[in-house]
Amino acid sequence: MKRLARIALAGVIGAGMLIISADAVAAQQKAPPGGAYKEVSTLVPLPSFLPGLGTLYVDPATLPAGPFLAYDHQGSLVSSIYMIPLKDMNARKAFTGLKVGHERADHVDIVYNAGHPGVAEPHYHVIVWYVSPERAATLAK
Amino acid sequence: MTEPSRRDFLRVGGLALAGVGFVPNRPMRSAALEVIEMRSDALGAHVWFDPIGLYVEPGTTLRWVVRENVHTTTAYHPKNDHHPLRIPERAAPWDSGYLVNPGDHFEVRLTTPGVYDYYCVPHEAAGMVGRIVVGSALGPGAQPFDYWTGRPGTEHWRRVPDAARASLPSIERIVAAHRVRPHLAPPRRGGHE
Repeated sequence: MKRLARIALAGVIGAGMLIISADAVAAQQKAPPGGAYKEVSTLVPLPSFLPGLGTLYVDPATLPAGPFLAYDHQGSLVSSIYMIPLKDMNARKAFTGLKVGHERADHVDIVYNAGHPGVAEPHYHVIVWYVSPERAATLAK
Repeated sequence: MTEPSRRDFLRVGGLALAGVGFVPNRPMRSAALEVIEMRSDALGAHVWFDPIGLYVEPGTTLRWVVRENVHTTTAYHPKNDHHPLRIPERAAPWDSGYLVNPGDHFEVRLTTPGVYDYYCVPHEAAGMVGRIVVGSALGPGAQPFDYWTGRPGTEHWRRVPDAARASLPSIERIVAAHRVRPHLAPPRRGGHE
């Protein structure tokens, strides 16, 4: 009986965590995502809207990998971006358990970047898009 | 076009008052002016100064202008985050700070002859550097990259990254051509090398 109660309690807690997680994901669909996320342009000298990416938010505790949550001009979530320095790749560093911004991805881009304020070294952007390539292209300006 | 920030104006203006050869922006100017563009491709994968190498006479004002991305122009000098000295000893270092928007610019007037190497803070490791020869190929910038190794007082100096070493054009090439464009730069109409 005690064992059954423990299982039931674990199930309740587990279900609660899923609900919290789903709530968090739902809350992130529109900017600002809230919680520990800060707009990147308030943390480092970057424009508020980055052509090709959007308006970025990040939890500073997760730097440099992120995720950075990217939003379009209408404030809708379009992607999660993970920034992985080349030196960490060369050192065979693992990045595991990274959060996502949406349950369903459309496509993924992996793009080299020479550096920028905040990640001032060559790195890769791993961009998990939640919108189509056509819609992603509208972020160019 | 955005003027330098008040902080930069005060800092650079203060250096000029100290007689070290720097002046803030001035709308009326009779001396020579050279423009160096700060460039990037759309993805931020390739970044460069254009021209990357430049020969000028003493007294010339250099203006760096952002075309794309976010950049700095920062002299190789120990006062700039322990970078090695690669400008003339008598010249003062400069650091534009981040220039964030297209059209943002920063100016320096170089009066002391010698070689001046500089870099972009977020892109130095990717090889975004430049070299200016003012009048003569003199000073620390004319020395090999590691000339300072083992000298007292240089323990905290940072090594110039490999990509930056590979990018800088030779002094001889700059003196011969007066203007050296980077490999990545698109062709310029009516123009120089």
